[in-house]
Amino acid sequence: MNSETKNRIRRFSPVQRFFHLLLMLSFLTQGATGLARMYIETPWGKWLSWIFGGYESALTVHIWVGIFMICGFVIHFLYVIFKIDWRNFPGSLFGPDSLLLQPRDIKEFFQHVGWFLGIAKAPRFDRWGYWEKFDYWAVFWGMVIMGCTGLILAYPMDSTRFMPGWGLNVAFWVHRIEAILAMAHVFLIHFFIAHLRRHNFPMDRAMFEGSVDLTATRHEKPAWVARLEQDGKLEDSLVNESKIGRRVLFYLVGYAAMAIGVFLLAGGIINSPYITW
Amino acid sequence: MMKIMCEKMTILQAAAVLAVLLFLPGMVPAQEEMASAIRRYKDREASSGYYEEYEVMPRSRRIPVGVRGVGREVFPHSPSAAKVRIRTRLSDSHAGIKFYWNWRCEDCHVREAKDIHTVRANLTCRQCHGNEPIASIDHYRSPMNPIRRHAYVCAKCHEGASASFSTYVVHAPNPAMLSTKSSFPVLFYVFWVMVAIAVGTFVVFLPHTVMWGIRELFQKGEKR
Repeated sequence: MNSETKNRIRRFSPVQRFFHLLLMLSFLTQGATGLARMYIETPWGKWLSWIFGGYESALTVHIWVGIFMICGFVIHFLYVIFKIDWRNFPGSLFGPDSLLLQPRDIKEFFQHVGWFLGIAKAPRFDRWGYWEKFDYWAVFWGMVIMGCTGLILAYPMDSTRFMPGWGLNVAFWVHRIEAILAMAHVFLIHFFIAHLRRHNFPMDRAMFEGSVDLTATRHEKPAWVARLEQDGKLEDSLVNESKIGRRVLFYLVGYAAMAIGVFLLAGGIINSPYITW
Repeated sequence: MMKIMCEKMTILQAAAVLAVLLFLPGMVPAQEEMASAIRRYKDREASSGYYEEYEVMPRSRRIPVGVRGVGREVFPHSPSAAKVRIRTRLSDSHAGIKFYWNWRCEDCHVREAKDIHTVRANLTCRQCHGNEPIASIDHYRSPMNPIRRHAYVCAKCHEGASASFSTYVVHAPNPAMLSTKSSFPVLFYVFWVMVAIAVGTFVVFLPHTVMWGIRELFQKGEKR
């Protein structure tokens, strides 16, 4: 195939996209079932719980999807361990392809803010921007916090064999605040940065298609493209744009997820004065 | 003649005993078991230890709240009793409250009437606290007493509830309130740490995201 038609750089493997798809679907389900329980005093919450078969059924779905997410997280953790470049360990952890937060990310954050204000040049981002690393680790530790508190709350008889019952009160609030933080961050900040800002509008298809536009990436991640060119890996990294039918599917799935997220966020904010906190 | 009379009397007596036995509730092992605390202790608790968590009677039956000039065994059912503020160890926690029968629980217990158990599980107060007279939660015969709460109250819905489980605070204080710092410090501090993390995230990333969006929107030339 002619390389001139290949105008996109491969960014995510099929396994990574599959992880994201599962995370997206399970996160939305957890958000909807969790809010259905939390807002059961309101007509909006009752309607949400009705979709899942009622107040009790919403909890059953919430617990089982939560267990599914924990299993997915464990598999992802093993996948990460497997993907580490052990031959160059520990140096590989601090390389440009690593998602580990580094001092360079803090510098780039402030330089980026300076660029927003027109007082600094735009930073030359490599493969992962600081906001992408933040998103990844926010989900990573969020999964640990939500998974642990979720299991404690889902199985209180077993968990109170190892901790006092008042720990359930504490776990409940940790679970609730972390859930609100996660949903608000994903539905407001992640959606906007990934899809709605001018650079990515109307949608960043990277997590569905697995690749990003070469021209756009030259502008946003110039250090990454330059590094690939310098290492002679750019040609191998280029792929074709997916067919129109698949792109339409990506847009439908992506915008459906965004619509559900915004609906949950808006409903949660509007109905928040009418529930018992 | 006398012999016939005696036989009739015996038959009548037997019928009377039979009738009485028919209408009285039957003897059940539980009654026998509860008849002697010493036997129960020897048979059950000393051998298995199973009941010791919640079947222990206190050493003294003295009511901890003493009122000068009034006998200790019976708490004064008088208007002055309403002034007693410590009501956690009374056999009737509402003793002495004027016009008690005209009040509803939530008239006084406003916050307690709105928590997850009442609002979401639709439990009524008496489903846990029992019927009138409602004993104080720490009264030694109250089902709500912590030594037996898990078995007498929590286990009604949460099958297998343990004493540890029953320390869950049903009427938990508002974690944001300063008063919670003394009543439930762990909840207070954990709540505010979590809120600080959440607020900190948005204080940084909301303006960051808005500024980013505006910067890209009004940038000339290539998308950036």
